[in-house]
Amino acid sequence: MKLFNNKTLLALLVLISGYGYIAGCTHENDILPAPATTTAVINRGSAILLPGNMVVGDTTQWKLDKAHSSVLWQTNYVGAAGLLTGRFNQFGMHNVTDAEMQNYVTTGQPLMDTSWAFYESDPAKTYFNGYVQINQSNTGEPARDGGCNISGLGTVPIVAGTQNLTVTNLAKIKTTKIELDPLSEDYIVTLNLTWQGKLAQPLTESLVGRLKYIKRATVNAGTASAYDVFGLQLTFQFDCRDYGITSTSISDNVQIECNMNFNNK
Amino acid sequence: MGNNFETYIQKLELIGFFAGYAIVYALVHFIKGEQRKKTSSFINCLPKLLPYAYALTGTLFLGMVLKNISIDLSLQNIVEQFQNPYLKIWGLLSVLFWIPALSKKPVYSLFHSLVFFFLLIKDFWMLITSSIDSEIIKNDMKVYTDSLLLNTANLACIAILWFVMSKIRESRKTSSD
Repeated sequence: MKLFNNKTLLALLVLISGYGYIAGCTHENDILPAPATTTAVINRGSAILLPGNMVVGDTTQWKLDKAHSSVLWQTNYVGAAGLLTGRFNQFGMHNVTDAEMQNYVTTGQPLMDTSWAFYESDPAKTYFNGYVQINQSNTGEPARDGGCNISGLGTVPIVAGTQNLTVTNLAKIKTTKIELDPLSEDYIVTLNLTWQGKLAQPLTESLVGRLKYIKRATVNAGTASAYDVFGLQLTFQFDCRDYGITSTSISDNVQIECNMNFNNK
Repeated sequence: MGNNFETYIQKLELIGFFAGYAIVYALVHFIKGEQRKKTSSFINCLPKLLPYAYALTGTLFLGMVLKNISIDLSLQNIVEQFQNPYLKIWGLLSVLFWIPALSKKPVYSLFHSLVFFFLLIKDFWMLITSSIDSEIIKNDMKVYTDSLLLNTANLACIAILWFVMSKIRESRKTSSD
């Protein structure tokens, strides 16, 4: 072959081969770049949120927005099937003392929701107390809520217009230690759950849960009606058999989720 | 995949042995064309050695085919070894380039190997028309790279052999004079 033809042939073969190499390059053997970091990126602020005396209009004092909060429970139906879920219609954030365990004739909150404090970056100072009225469990089935639930949980029926904080109808929690979770922005909470259930006396058990802080945000920003909100979400679980609950309709393990929303209106 | 997979593997074998020869051929002729201006001697001899290098590749291929057949001498195995019978026989014909009369025309060896290079081009076309994915091309190019190395190594072996033989011939000629 003449030189020109050889050059042409070589160029053609190189071009075709080059195309093959480029088309066959799938990058699957490429070594993945190293992760930017192997530790969780945690950004904690320094918010300090306190209830004060819940003075209306004082934006430094945070009020529990009960209407937009909830205490939810769930457990496996008959211990194995799908979840049985419900909520407590009446709850609060107050450290209910023995003297305060009584009936209150009111439809609103019987006690001020002031037994809490939240320090975003200083969990040692954070604490909270809470309670629920057991007979206010609401599964959406009135026959169950006002029937077997009452006897099964060792409490008494609802009396209209009365908030029942007596010992048989009260379950309360009190934090004993709150720590930063090293793997997330959450907090690890150690708390005491006190409830009589179907026992002769109230039982206090120490449990561990997780607290999530939903950061402060402004509602209606830029208007005269602007106000701030934040949320605390606590999740934990306990063994209801410890409290004398023998119903086979529910599993041993009961999971609780408390969604508390606050505002500074 | 069954026989389709075996057919694919045997196609890769053919590409692996013969497809890389064309670019070696073109490269040698290109270098020779450049060297001619400088009147170099050894490089100018390489083109005529190309068919023998190709014949060596064919001989290695023949050895592989015989080895695969010798494992099981049944008719069924022999048939299985010839999934692409025409291409395989065409590949085996490359041993004929040991015959000096055929080797006098190196371009024949190029035409012979281009058949296998077209197998690559066929796959490229199928990639363009989305009949196959790039994994097939990736395989093809890996085998093609091996083919380039094999044909280059074979040419180097033949060149060394030719160099040694020419030296022996020279020394005999000198001693007889």
